[in-house]
Amino acid sequence: MRLLDALKKLFTPKRSPSLSVPPQMLPAMMRQIEMTQAVEYSCEDVHRLLDQFTEAVMRGEDAAALMPLIQRHLEMCPDCREEFEALLRILKAPLTS
Amino acid sequence: MKRTNAQWLDSLRSDGLAQEEALTDLRATIVNGLPYALSKWLSPADPLFEAFIEEVTQETVMRVLDRLDSFEGRSQFTTWVYKIAVRVALTELRRRRWKDVSLDEMLESDEGGAAQSVMTDPASSPESLVERSDLVAHIQRVMQEELTPKQLQAMMAVGMKGVPLEEVARRMEMNRNALYKLLHDGRVRLKQRLEKEGLPMGELMTTFEAR
Repeated sequence: MRLLDALKKLFTPKRSPSLSVPPQMLPAMMRQIEMTQAVEYSCEDVHRLLDQFTEAVMRGEDAAALMPLIQRHLEMCPDCREEFEALLRILKAPLTS
Repeated sequence: MKRTNAQWLDSLRSDGLAQEEALTDLRATIVNGLPYALSKWLSPADPLFEAFIEEVTQETVMRVLDRLDSFEGRSQFTTWVYKIAVRVALTELRRRRWKDVSLDEMLESDEGGAAQSVMTDPASSPESLVERSDLVAHIQRVMQEELTPKQLQAMMAVGMKGVPLEEVARRMEMNRNALYKLLHDGRVRLKQRLEKEGLPMGELMTTFEAR
């Protein structure tokens, strides 16, 4: 039995028993999990296309329908969403050149 | 001077006066646009504002020159430049904002009423409170079983205090792209497990949102 226990201990993946998701985080996490798709763009994929996506938004096109993977990533990734919003603010600004 | 995409590329790739003029215009373009991008982050009245704009502009010009060949012409050249400037600026602002916060501190739970509302909403019936409490315990257990410690840490740091992925990634010694993938893999595993157990996400959301 001791050998069996030792083997179990050895081959059981180490988990982090101390970390437990607080209940108040669960609704937001559940929403994210619900929106999860098997295939999603990475942050770099989105960065590569963000200028085109933002210009499409500025032209009044349905960018979310034209580039759904980007739209979905922006809904999931706060960093990329902030960058999109910042870029959009520049394009909306009354710049002269 | 207003330039077409081709004119920007030609001028920046040339040498002498044409390149100098293009570089001056490029710098001015970035300096003029950045304050709008940063309006939610940094006020022009901030004593650090001008130095920060200058620092970001320099770094952006260097990156633009370094990556000219990767510009595909599918957007305005200036939009492409702004995209790079925004990434440079926000990366630095995030780093500054979170520089004194360790990963452990990012994982500390904020005590407050939010937990109460999920677990003990006074408007709920005793039966639904028990049901919700059981569900919370079950999902916590599923997370422990399905996620690696790194996935759990990352999910909590990002979800708990809204820490940017970039800053969580820095502390976990990976890049933001890799962290997003780590989180995505974790979400996919959780979704598959919950669906396999016959707990469709829609129903779970209804239970949490029930009042």
